[in-house]
Amino acid sequence: MAKKILIIEDDKFLRELILRKLLKAGYKVSYAIDGEEGLKKIKEEKPDLVLLDLILPGTDGFEVLEKTKSDIEISSIPVIILSNLGQKEDIERGLKLGAIDFLVKAHFTPQEIVDKIEKILK
Amino acid sequence: MNSGKRKNNKKERVTPKEFSEKKLNFTKITEGKKERTEEEELKQARNALLNILEDTEEARKIAVEERNKTLTIIQNFADGILVFDEKNNLELINPLAEEFLGVKKEEIIQKNISELSETPKFKHLIKLLDSFPEGKAIKSIFREELPLRENLFLEITTLPLIMESNLKGTLTILHNVTREKNIEKMKTEFVSISAHQLRTPLSAVKWTIRMILDGDVGEISNEQRDLLQKTYLSNERMINLINDLLNVTRIEEGKLLYEPKLAQLEDIVWSVAGNFKQEIKRKKIDFKFKKPSQALPKVKVDQEKIKLAVENLIDNAIRYTFPKGKVEISFRCPDKVIEFKVKDSGVGIPKDKQERIFTKFFRGPNVIRMETEGTGLGLYTTKNIIEAHKGKIWFESEEGKGTTFYFALPTEE
Repeated sequence: MAKKILIIEDDKFLRELILRKLLKAGYKVSYAIDGEEGLKKIKEEKPDLVLLDLILPGTDGFEVLEKTKSDIEISSIPVIILSNLGQKEDIERGLKLGAIDFLVKAHFTPQEIVDKIEKILK
Repeated sequence: MNSGKRKNNKKERVTPKEFSEKKLNFTKITEGKKERTEEEELKQARNALLNILEDTEEARKIAVEERNKTLTIIQNFADGILVFDEKNNLELINPLAEEFLGVKKEEIIQKNISELSETPKFKHLIKLLDSFPEGKAIKSIFREELPLRENLFLEITTLPLIMESNLKGTLTILHNVTREKNIEKMKTEFVSISAHQLRTPLSAVKWTIRMILDGDVGEISNEQRDLLQKTYLSNERMINLINDLLNVTRIEEGKLLYEPKLAQLEDIVWSVAGNFKQEIKRKKIDFKFKKPSQALPKVKVDQEKIKLAVENLIDNAIRYTFPKGKVEISFRCPDKVIEFKVKDSGVGIPKDKQERIFTKFFRGPNVIRMETEGTGLGLYTTKNIIEAHKGKIWFESEEGKGTTFYFALPTEE
């Protein structure tokens, strides 16, 4: 069965691009456009992996990550941060909160992102 | 008037009133034959004495006036001023210093620094003063910033008051830098936020072009591929420029170094040099990496940042050297430092531009003519990185012959 990926990203165009790429790679994909909706969908849909942006309206990505990792029901779901923050402190904080990887959007191509996901879900 | 009389006058401290009384006594004594001449002499002496008194009075007035003037200046000075005497008692405090520290002069004047250090209002300031080398009996000037309370940043300067090579006390100046701090913060935040915001559309462009190039949305012709490839590279350049800008912002925020760890410099340089393989091959550059025969002593560095510094230097060496030129990397290990050296046979830096080489946004006119890319931020960033590691950076260059850049980092003992 195809694995399911949840994209939490507020920028419509970026979301569409990555969504298209993931669909093409054979994944089932759903998305959320802010932190609260994202958290709700993680709980409801229990995806196999979450692609999480950090700067989101309202509840930000760090908070979503923290809440995900402290909820035993969903804490085992791997979360990849995909953000344009990328200073050492941000990366460190993200990884400390339990993200499996931290990708700076501008530094990775869609294919490289898919490759990362594939590796994790193997 | 001769000085002997002056001394005499000082001893007796005669006021004009007393003098006129004494005059009567003189008259009594001066009875006799030579009355006239003696009277003359006495008159002269009296006049002379009166003159001295007038002069002294004048001098006293001038001194008082000077003192008042100085006090008025201190009272109304745009900086807070504190003066401690040689026994570290608070001798003087001006109103602005009272305001900064939230204290009343009457409550603290003449108190000793040790007593003051126990009051909450003085605690931070005195702790800071204590942190200056050699306590308070210092010879030179020290400056430090002190965030006293919300929205009040002071720059503290302290300097010894030395008169005729004796320490007469310490002057402490509190300069309000809150406005500068706020502006600096705003500027940094602005750059940082706009850089992050710029990254989003650039990511979109990158992803779109990449997907088209990867054939995700159908076949494209070679001509289309060629153009898109170039667009992709332009976009990558923009992303790199933003990274540079972010790094510069970090430098100015003063939090450039991140958890320095012990490392082998030669290994870092080796891995960075590896990134340039393709470019070295393309330009047919004679590239030498002289690995030290023994492992160098370790240095404590923020690896990411040192990588960036080394990358900038090697990148410059290769970029500004014509095809088939030479680039050589070597190390030296003199006393307590490790020296990195990258020597190229490139275009060099014009003599009259050399002093500006490390300034922000500077690019040599000869390299601008070469139409090479560059932001003029590389060497500025590099210098700041090296200096943040308490290292030194310098260069030798001759236009048309080549440039050698060096940096030295202190080794961990």
